[in-house]
Amino acid sequence: MPRTILKIENLKTYFNTWAGVVQAVDGVSLEVKKGETLGLVGESGSGKTVTSLSVLRIVPRPGKIIDGRIMFKDEDLLRKTEKEMQKIRGAQIALIFQDPSTSLNPIFSIESQLIEVIQQHQKLNKEEAKEKAEILLDIVGIPDAKLRIKDFPHQFSGGMKQRVAIARALSCEPSLLFADEPTTNLDVTIQAQILDLMRDLKSKFDMSMVLITHNMGIVAEMADRVTVMYAGRVCETSSVNDIFLHATHPYTVALMRAIPQIGTEKQKLQVIPGNIPNLINPPSGCRFHPRCKYAKSICKMKVPELEKVEKGHLTACLRWDEIKKTLLKERERAA
Amino acid sequence: MGYKRYIVKRLIYIIPLFLGISILNFSLMHSAGDPIRLMTLGNPSPNIGEVRENLRIYYGLDQPIYVQYGIWLWRFLQLDLGTSFYSGRTVNTIIGMYAWETIKLQMVALILALAIGIPIGIYSARKQYSKLDITITSSAIMGISIPIFYMGIIFILIFSFYLGWFPSFGAHSLQELRYPFGSYFLDELWHLVLPTVAIAWVSMALYIRLVRSSMLEILRQDYILAARASGLSERTIIFKHALRNATIPLITYIGISIGLLLSGAPMTETVFTWPGLGYLYVNSVTQLDFPVIMGINMIITLIILGVNLITDLLYGIIDPRIRYE
Repeated sequence: MPRTILKIENLKTYFNTWAGVVQAVDGVSLEVKKGETLGLVGESGSGKTVTSLSVLRIVPRPGKIIDGRIMFKDEDLLRKTEKEMQKIRGAQIALIFQDPSTSLNPIFSIESQLIEVIQQHQKLNKEEAKEKAEILLDIVGIPDAKLRIKDFPHQFSGGMKQRVAIARALSCEPSLLFADEPTTNLDVTIQAQILDLMRDLKSKFDMSMVLITHNMGIVAEMADRVTVMYAGRVCETSSVNDIFLHATHPYTVALMRAIPQIGTEKQKLQVIPGNIPNLINPPSGCRFHPRCKYAKSICKMKVPELEKVEKGHLTACLRWDEIKKTLLKERERAA
Repeated sequence: MGYKRYIVKRLIYIIPLFLGISILNFSLMHSAGDPIRLMTLGNPSPNIGEVRENLRIYYGLDQPIYVQYGIWLWRFLQLDLGTSFYSGRTVNTIIGMYAWETIKLQMVALILALAIGIPIGIYSARKQYSKLDITITSSAIMGISIPIFYMGIIFILIFSFYLGWFPSFGAHSLQELRYPFGSYFLDELWHLVLPTVAIAWVSMALYIRLVRSSMLEILRQDYILAARASGLSERTIIFKHALRNATIPLITYIGISIGLLLSGAPMTETVFTWPGLGYLYVNSVTQLDFPVIMGINMIITLIILGVNLITDLLYGIIDPRIRYE
């Protein structure tokens, strides 16, 4: 059985704003096993990014981690000092951002940005660090790495910039990589290349990966397991197969139905009615109940805990048992 | 590279700009009044008309204005700015005497404002909305809102008149006896304190706000978060990644203000009776001392054009995205 590399328990990250306290992440628990890719899925504003920033403890102000435990290799990151965290960031846990055109500092050369990170964590002199940076650029598929390392970010295309950002994230061979929608801002052909690259590198560097996305296609292709988030909480966690075939949480089900099907008969795109709630004043009980077509009065009152559906499949719905039966019937009728 | 060509191009552009500004200044100055009438005001001599005519011929003011301009330009090209109507000294000598005092005053004030303003601005941005930040920003708004001539008078009133700690006017003591510890240097410093602090007070407020707002903008950028995520220390992030980006707007502003400061900030120098270009300027304008007015105008013009060029070149050094064509 694979060991767990990251275990988040009941994480709460709140933002104190003028308008009120935004409960961006409110009791998130999830697990990443060694060597696997976990897909972290949810709408914009569901707390995926804040969760990953919380793990590195770099949530921007006014955000604050209120409660919870973040066990990385059996040590609680929330108990570490800032100095200790600096040694973990970039060295053991790395992060790739969504928009490569803003995640590299525009006024420093690629060379200096890579060398800086390498020297921060490894005892190498400038020459050795430069050599390593060139090798990294070569690995991530930048042609003429030796020449292009002198260039500045604006001299690279979007896809190339993301490759540079990946090189920086991998420069110290981290054991855990958070990739926050790494392909969202790239065009489709480049997306596939970057995903391929990440898959290759993941096995090459023997990493675990958390892939944050709202693209179910990417999840199907890349992830081993999936955790679905909604409004700052986890709805469902399971293997990729179960998510696509046996989802039990109404939100996950709705999310699956909202994927347009190519090749089937013409039909209206199914959408989830309503919007993600305001997290300053979230709905009581289950946060999804105002948009859930299976909601009953109990859903307004009781906060659902993650319950075990079967081995490796958890769901946070009070009525998952009934809903599972209903879904089965619906499926039979459709067939 | 295009660097050298760019500089040459910019230097060539200065020529028409300079001609235009000098023509404008020359004609504006001549429409301001008649210096000969001012000189002979209240003169009871019966043949005053003749005296004036002779003076006009003596100073060359009898010629048509374009001839006067031509003569002025021809001399200017030979680095001769003419002779003052009043003191009889050459304008070159006079400006040389006064310019140093202005440079000294304004540079000390600028360095003071930057040395205090930049760190405070950075601190304020890092601790946005903290009590200290709110105190800093609101005092900065007060600093900007108080005009320098008012601030100067208040300073003189408190520290010179009531407390008697610092001299109220001038750049030097009139008698050597009054030098603190008999040192000329200490005497200079002693006289510098009030005017530099008054100038720095006001401009520091601007720098604090400028640094704070650009740092806030930059600290919100993804590349700062990415630098944090890479485990870089807070010091590297603030002083290398953020501050270097924030220098671009800062340099723009310093460039503009150096031009204005070296023109002597006439108000400040008048309030503190500081023997600098601004003080000289005000006096020359009230006396309609044409050669001195033109001399100062042209010096200011050249300084501003020069500083502009230097600022533009500095951008390119700091930001690699800026290229010169």
